[in-house]
Amino acid sequence: MAGIVGYGVYVPKYRIKAEEYIKAWGNFAADGVKEKSVVGCDEDVVTMAIEASNNAIKSAGIDPKNINTVYLATTSAPYAEKPSSVTVAAAIGAEGDVRTADFTTSTKAGTAALLACLERVKSDDSGRCGLIVASDAPAAAPDSSLEHALGGAAAAFIIGKKNIIATIDKSYSLSMETLGERFRKRDEPYIRDLELRVQHLQNAITATIKNLQKSLNLEPKDFAYVVVQQPDGRAAARIAGKLGFSKKQLSTGNLAEYTGDVGAASTLLSLAAVLESAKHGEKILLASYGSGSDAICITVGAPLAAPKIEIKEYLQNKEYIDYVKYLKLKKVLSTFRT
Amino acid sequence: MTSYISLPSYLNTIDQRYRLIGKKCKSCGTVNFPPRVMCIECGGRDFEDIKLSGRGKIHAFTIISRGSAPSEFDDQQNMTGEFGVAVIELEEGPRIIGQLTDCDPNPEKIRIGTEVRATVRKLYEQEGVIRYGYKFTPV
Repeated sequence: MAGIVGYGVYVPKYRIKAEEYIKAWGNFAADGVKEKSVVGCDEDVVTMAIEASNNAIKSAGIDPKNINTVYLATTSAPYAEKPSSVTVAAAIGAEGDVRTADFTTSTKAGTAALLACLERVKSDDSGRCGLIVASDAPAAAPDSSLEHALGGAAAAFIIGKKNIIATIDKSYSLSMETLGERFRKRDEPYIRDLELRVQHLQNAITATIKNLQKSLNLEPKDFAYVVVQQPDGRAAARIAGKLGFSKKQLSTGNLAEYTGDVGAASTLLSLAAVLESAKHGEKILLASYGSGSDAICITVGAPLAAPKIEIKEYLQNKEYIDYVKYLKLKKVLSTFRT
Repeated sequence: MTSYISLPSYLNTIDQRYRLIGKKCKSCGTVNFPPRVMCIECGGRDFEDIKLSGRGKIHAFTIISRGSAPSEFDDQQNMTGEFGVAVIELEEGPRIIGQLTDCDPNPEKIRIGTEVRATVRKLYEQEGVIRYGYKFTPV
């Protein structure tokens, strides 16, 4: 038996409000997003992952030497070749006989890495733990409407066999070929989307959630919380509503309203928020998306003993910036190249 | 091909730059950071590793204005304006220099005695290599 033994998040301090986009462009294309988190000039996916991972290690109360797996999920790693998971492992003190891997090229990478980490810990008899961290800050061209929703954040989970606070009961995965939807070719800095008005997101999540519910013989009312991939502030509510979930079940884990689209970190950041409020015995249904979907059923066990930095703190500790500062922090106005 | 700043020496200091690993003198107990060959206090040569908490207070600080930063920080300064550099007195004792981040280096906000914590950030990028290391941010 393996499960979640600790978790931690990181949300950068800077925020930009929808109004700033309206001032700059005349519109704001991210449905339901009031403000979004902005990665600082000296931050990236790696530095956010380190912060979230250290918070998770503290909450689990483990020695980082007791970690033998470090999986990083992201669509926007600083290097196309050279694993960022290794930098994270070195920074948390888990270097040496550690299995590392980067899970990437899809916003579904977070759940893919979580499931891989669970399977790794389950099949490992060393008694050591796994760390899975989803950290993302997707970028699109500043003159594309796709760019408006994109934020940044990280969420980390320690997977182990002792002192489990939540079990990962079952999952259902779907692979779905998509064309022209959220892609970035090698050597391109920005994601693109041809906005073909397809229903892939809704169809994939509906399929995985329905199949998982069927296999567990559960209905929407059996879950205290539902978490759905959040490309904006409204999509998750629309899909969850059609599947028979209430606003109450969704609202705790619907964070894009305040963070924007955090890509591969979306569902796991929301899972961390839900775990902070969930009580013993409650069930969480989570479904990611990105050319397919992973739906996961999680049951909450004992509460965390060790102190942790709550996501609320990160969401409250913020500094608003204007659009020009935003462009500077994103280095859109920088011509510096190394 | 050679690099502008020694990458091997940077690599040797990864534990201190990423994790604040210092050396505690076995004869007098003084925490040395960055690690030294001889203890700064007693000259001892026997040490054990100690992971510093990263928590401390601003002992002294200065503001680096536009144009006065080393060239590797040019881009950062162009994008963010002036930034603070401080001597931090860590709670374990050592005083170390680091950049202040996520804070306006306004003397109204940053003062001697302000509590800070360490955070790993991108320091600069050179020849395509990103150098990560600690900075400090007000608690």
